[in-house]
Amino acid sequence: MKNKFLNMLMIAFVAISIVSCNDDETTTPSNPGTTTYNAGDVGIEFMNIAGTVALDASGATNYVNAAGESFNVSMFKYYVSNVKLIKQDGSKYEVPNSYFLIDANDTNSLKVDLANIPGGKYTGLEYTIGVDSARNVSGSQTGALDPANGMFWSWTTGYIFMKLEGQSSASSNNNYKYHIGGFTGTYSGLRTVSIDFTPSILIVDGGKREAEIHIAADVLEIFKNPSNVTIASGSTVMMVGPTSSGIATNYADMFKFDHIHNDPL
Amino acid sequence: MKVNLKIYLVLIIVIVWSIQACVPDVDPIITKPLFYQPDGFPATSGQLNNNPVTYNGFRLGKKLFYDPILSLDSSVSCGSCHQQFAAFAHLDHKVSHGINDLEGNRNAPPLFNLAWHSNFFWDGGSNHIEVQPIGPITNPVEMNEDVARVIAKLKRSKFYPEMFKRAFGSDTITTQAMTRAMAQFMSSLISANSKYDQVKAGTATFTVDEQNGYMLFKSKCESCHREPLMTDLDYRNNGLDLHFTSDPGRARITLQPSDSGKFKVPSLRNVAVTFPYMHDGRINSLSKVIDHYRNGIVQSTTIDPILAGGNMSITDAEKQQLLLFLNTLTDPTFLNDERFSEK
Repeated sequence: MKNKFLNMLMIAFVAISIVSCNDDETTTPSNPGTTTYNAGDVGIEFMNIAGTVALDASGATNYVNAAGESFNVSMFKYYVSNVKLIKQDGSKYEVPNSYFLIDANDTNSLKVDLANIPGGKYTGLEYTIGVDSARNVSGSQTGALDPANGMFWSWTTGYIFMKLEGQSSASSNNNYKYHIGGFTGTYSGLRTVSIDFTPSILIVDGGKREAEIHIAADVLEIFKNPSNVTIASGSTVMMVGPTSSGIATNYADMFKFDHIHNDPL
Repeated sequence: MKVNLKIYLVLIIVIVWSIQACVPDVDPIITKPLFYQPDGFPATSGQLNNNPVTYNGFRLGKKLFYDPILSLDSSVSCGSCHQQFAAFAHLDHKVSHGINDLEGNRNAPPLFNLAWHSNFFWDGGSNHIEVQPIGPITNPVEMNEDVARVIAKLKRSKFYPEMFKRAFGSDTITTQAMTRAMAQFMSSLISANSKYDQVKAGTATFTVDEQNGYMLFKSKCESCHREPLMTDLDYRNNGLDLHFTSDPGRARITLQPSDSGKFKVPSLRNVAVTFPYMHDGRINSLSKVIDHYRNGIVQSTTIDPILAGGNMSITDAEKQQLLLFLNTLTDPTFLNDERFSEK
């Protein structure tokens, strides 16, 4: 009886170590036999696109939305916050104080650095577009959430989660402005995004690799899927309501996983 | 020769020192306590919990409050429309004028006992005393300025970096530090020493007419103008209009049609010195305000249930007594407190 148990334990141990070995071979072949991954930094790089081409947010390029309206983009900004990395075992690592303002016209903002992420393998990512309710009701914030960044409503306190502005011949005054926000209630603009890396895997192993996730954000998705939004029917959306909430639902799926770098240093 | 040299040295040191110390270390006018809990007041909103009032935070907040640098063209400060002698309301202005004499559509509210408020503005649109100042700073018809530009101007200043350092330990000027200093100053504007307060404390007594006025107040007004803050801090439609197209009030924030025409119940403290009255300053005397409740209440879909029964019956004699009581809510200590004054 005792022997049987020991045998089973041995088999289990061998099985586990084989699995671990296999893991190591795909990740750190130079160092077989160890399963230790060190904490390291992870970068997320956002590429803003319009359909199949890189977005020009200078206002110089015309695009066509799902309704067939021509428009250009002079401003495209959004908050990415409460970032969670999903481990291979399904557990989540929440990156503390992760609030980032992505601005298509500010190259420095497109690369987000997540410092000191626990070592290991990750299969996906979750984040919020916008700013959670807690940070909307706790007074003056700093960093990406500094009200001086221009993504803040002061007459009815709250962050603007996404700003898209430009010109369009479909608008009666030739301009359009979408300022989407609202952290509470029926028409809240808060949306959660889930990114699945499959079949890629993000490997965090500090000092050995440089891990970087590349995500595309397609501005055309703001106008469609599930509901078509036309500039002609409302060129200025700056109040929280059914239209702004619908636009938020549209852009919740504008993010597409592109690729991962797990480059050895 | 030797003596002269010593004197010169001392002189140079004194001159260098005085140039550096643009901001005096101590302001003899600003005495403590700057913030306190008056007897009988309820618990504060808690919005100062991460931002306790300090001597240097108060001084910085006061400096900012009176500095027109916060406006686009340096023409308007907070103090321009919030005057101490009017309990920090704008005396005799229905609405105030911002830069370029642009007019808003609401009456500048008085500022006191703000640490007991959780929301700000007539419609409660601002949800924290720290972010409240960003409203008037950025409003196109008030200061019409950009927060980032304000911060840049403060950074260029000769004395603000030093004041920020004293207040928050770092001369890095941020929006958070700026607005927290302003929150410290505004929260320190406590009015709790009117005759009414002294009567409550047992150190003064009402006249017979004031006492009768107080009893009338208790039966006619106190359900909304709740003691001791003299407001229940709620939003109510007090029967001014039938339609609310020009200003939907609270509904602008909640987007609920049932909140149309509702505005924050103003405190009656210092009410005698804060005319004109109502969210748009449409009534220019306290006597006429009482007349509104006697014969002017407009019944509309969102009228406050307390006023749904129609006009109040208040006799002329009772009205006079009520006015005498309301005068006991004036707090001369607060209105003349040098700690809060622009120098």
